[in-house]
Amino acid sequence: MSNRVCVCPTFHVSRFTLCFLAMAISLVSNVNVLSAASPSLAERVVEHRLANGLTVLMVERHQTPVVSINITFAVGGINEQVGQTGLAHFYEHMAFKGTRTVGTRDYEKEKPILDELARVGTELERRQRAIAQKTSEATVEEQAAVDSLQKRFMDLQAQASQYVVGNEVALLYQRHGGVGFNASTGKDLTRYTISLPSNRLPLWAAIEADRMANPVLREFYKERGVVMEERRLRNDDSPNGLLFETFTSAAFRAHGYGVPTIGWGSDILSLTPADAEAFFKAHYGPNRATIALAGDLDPKDTIDLIERTFGKIPAAPDSTARMAAEPEQRGERRVEVEFDAEPSIIIGYHKPGLGHPDDDVFDVIDAVLSDGLTSRLHRTLVRERRLAASISSSANHPGVREPNLFIIMATPLAPHTTGEVEAAIYEELERLKQEPVSPKELERVINNLDADMVRAMRSNSGLASQLALYQAVAGDWRDILKSRDRVSAVTAADVQRVAAQYFTKSNRTVGVLVKKSNGKTVAAAQNNGVAR
Amino acid sequence: MMGVRRKGLGVRGVGTLGFFGIAIVLLASVVAGCAGELALGDPRTMTFKPVEFSPPDPERIVLDNGMVVYLLEDHELPLITMTATMRTGSWLDPADKIGLAALTGSVMRTGGGGGFSAEEVDEALEQFAGDVSIGIGRQSGSASLDVLSKDLKRGLQIFAALVRTPAFEPARLELAKLQAIEGIRRRQDNPGSIVGREFIKLLYGAEHPTARESTIDSVRRITRDDLVAFHRNTIHPNGIILGVTGDFKKEEMLASLREVFGDWKKGAIPELKIADVPERDAEKPAVRFVDKDTTQTHLRVGHLSIKENDPDYVPLAIANDILGGSSFRSRIFNDVRTKLGLAYSVGSRLNTGVHDQGIWLVRAETKLASTQEVIERFLVNIERMRSEPVSDVELAEAKDAYINSFIFSFSSPSVIVSRLIELEYDGLPKDFLQQLRDKVVKLTKEDILAAAKKHLHPDRLKIVAVGSGKTLPAVLSTFGEVKEIKLSQEG
Repeated sequence: MSNRVCVCPTFHVSRFTLCFLAMAISLVSNVNVLSAASPSLAERVVEHRLANGLTVLMVERHQTPVVSINITFAVGGINEQVGQTGLAHFYEHMAFKGTRTVGTRDYEKEKPILDELARVGTELERRQRAIAQKTSEATVEEQAAVDSLQKRFMDLQAQASQYVVGNEVALLYQRHGGVGFNASTGKDLTRYTISLPSNRLPLWAAIEADRMANPVLREFYKERGVVMEERRLRNDDSPNGLLFETFTSAAFRAHGYGVPTIGWGSDILSLTPADAEAFFKAHYGPNRATIALAGDLDPKDTIDLIERTFGKIPAAPDSTARMAAEPEQRGERRVEVEFDAEPSIIIGYHKPGLGHPDDDVFDVIDAVLSDGLTSRLHRTLVRERRLAASISSSANHPGVREPNLFIIMATPLAPHTTGEVEAAIYEELERLKQEPVSPKELERVINNLDADMVRAMRSNSGLASQLALYQAVAGDWRDILKSRDRVSAVTAADVQRVAAQYFTKSNRTVGVLVKKSNGKTVAAAQNNGVAR
Repeated sequence: MMGVRRKGLGVRGVGTLGFFGIAIVLLASVVAGCAGELALGDPRTMTFKPVEFSPPDPERIVLDNGMVVYLLEDHELPLITMTATMRTGSWLDPADKIGLAALTGSVMRTGGGGGFSAEEVDEALEQFAGDVSIGIGRQSGSASLDVLSKDLKRGLQIFAALVRTPAFEPARLELAKLQAIEGIRRRQDNPGSIVGREFIKLLYGAEHPTARESTIDSVRRITRDDLVAFHRNTIHPNGIILGVTGDFKKEEMLASLREVFGDWKKGAIPELKIADVPERDAEKPAVRFVDKDTTQTHLRVGHLSIKENDPDYVPLAIANDILGGSSFRSRIFNDVRTKLGLAYSVGSRLNTGVHDQGIWLVRAETKLASTQEVIERFLVNIERMRSEPVSDVELAEAKDAYINSFIFSFSSPSVIVSRLIELEYDGLPKDFLQQLRDKVVKLTKEDILAAAKKHLHPDRLKIVAVGSGKTLPAVLSTFGEVKEIKLSQEG
């Protein structure tokens, strides 16, 4: 269900959309609830831009001598090329392997071995693929060449391991009291986080500037194995994960949003060190990054520190990547996933992304439909008709920046079927087209948005995350405030118009999880004579 | 809402310590290494002065009816939160009505109360963006209110009504029961959920209060009268510790609390006492598998362990930290994940409380073909932990990490208050974490080795694996006699 994949498991699921709307923060200057007790946080954000394009956002909070830092790169799954899916996430894992200084016993001796290992590994896998594609068996010569490369590969891997200081970046942070050291990759963004005792900022700057400038892709092939296990865990063995992957790839035929962030298994297994190196060079420049810091810091000292470290890193070249636009959908798409699990359903509609006025209307629709016990879908499907055990929606699947999907997810309450749930959902979507939403519903949306904005300021890490998020996706952290105002300007007529325009049969994709046990499919979604 | 169970030694800032306004001193670490060409020098050789900090000291007041209140003002944001920790829990469930405590908690929240209908409660809270949540776990109940400070009055009125005089509207109970039954029907969907639950059942026994699970029948048997009685018999003001933080003035808050809770009469609070598992069951090794069509084997390996107030807790917690508890820094993570590339999520945990025996476990998910190798790596690392002292570097890293991250135990007023409440609920001294910290500072390699020898038992390991029924029996047979756990699909 998560669109984000991480270097280290956190054992909980979060959806990007939720943090975008429901947790949108804070710095609301024109909301009276804030002026009551605290000076507007909008005035507390200090912004600095380095000559190389790096954006720095800071908020001073001196209650406790700690600081949280979020580095967000405007790079993610959508920056991958065909055949290299999963590369953005895989690179994020490799970013934990250290630099020319950290993570090695002697980089001068390690480097030639790593170069040779990459060459041999790439050649070995090229030949293995060639043999696998042949219709006949490998010749004795072909097999001998592979065996020889394999032996050489194992030798080199063993040699390289002699120079590795395992997980030294993490070790340094832990030794100095760091917590929350992690990273996550989504379709739009890649994010790196840490919280530290506040006087350790120089340690952070030294490590992170080094990671941004001089990463070394050691332990490459082992880490591919780790990411394959992550894929099995999140997608292959998870009914929800597999349903989301299948549903999303059915909804997008051309655009990169259709590809799972973690990548297709065969692509992950084909990634080369050269691919990862090229991806880093193309995308990981300071001009693609936002650093947000919140906590016990001095902005002037912090800027000075960042100038001295990150300031020397050259900007990455302008992007030359071309991105496919999703063609208009011309008819309903339905997919099923058979799994040894109880049924569930996802329904999605194509919609515009951030920056389009209709996007804000969908935020309102999202809240009206599924935010809270009084929301329409919960009230009708769960409480009154008792068709569903749970139901939720999201206005930005699987990313925010590009045209995306509005989705509704539900689990039926037995003996009711996904077909009955689906029909009931369509009735509620029709109601949005036929009747205006009430002033009370609109008021509730904005009241909750304002309160959630205040709540999101509670933690340093939440605050840093929100600032960096908006800066990276909208190009300006102030969009936190602007988007709140845009949402508050949405009218009942807007909702009706948008519902009528986008919630159409031909614009929708439906994914159904179908129960399968002991090799046979159990009747689940039989009566799906639902189409409207 | 599992109540009061701290995870590990609080090495990740999950921990408490004294609240006497003690200045926390973070030790500077000095580690040698060679310098690189970095603007600030080599991060491996950096040293820092200790961070000093006096955490704010919450006020503790006892109302006449025995309700304990902790108050800590924090005026940065216009928010107020309060959390009532209640001495109730599913250890009190009657054997034929497992699920009663959990249902009581959920319908306290959704079923109206104090003259407000369920509909009125939901409408009011969601219109002013107030949040109330109530839940009852195995060893405690929790009710919390989260409002903008301007909404305190109406929020508190609803909160107190639901906690003191819940109405348990029949339609809301009926829905909660249906949802609980649907949850039971979906228990076998995810291999991770299956392995976690079957492991706990194997350790404690399926009927033990820490492990037992509701069934469709047990939920169906529960009536509204049962909920009313469970609430009336177990939830009393003298069994509640209320923590309040945020944007309020202490005297005004106390007056408001007395207004809504002051005339609530004391009652007989239930005794929180959970039987230990008999030694002969705890020491028996076992190997079990569950047949599920998966791409990975989902693994748990471990046994019952000590309670958190055991004198060996600190050395064992640090032993576990080095063995597999500290993610990137730990031996098992470095071995199975970093060096071998065989798992994404891998490590060990020491989960302890004071009311029931703790659990020590090692976990991983790995592809079917590497299952045996991963278990073998677990065993090798466990054995090494028991047979040789940790290195000086490992000990220093573990100590530095614990001591330097200690400050995160005070990252916010609500963290400070909820920690104090946990300790009081568990009957631990309020400087318990400070005591732990002092023990960590003095810890030696010999202490760790002795604790590992005494408390990690390779001959008692219980192994649960969820995965392919075709290959798992053979793979697991090298670790003992293998038996299958047959899942019964309910509903």
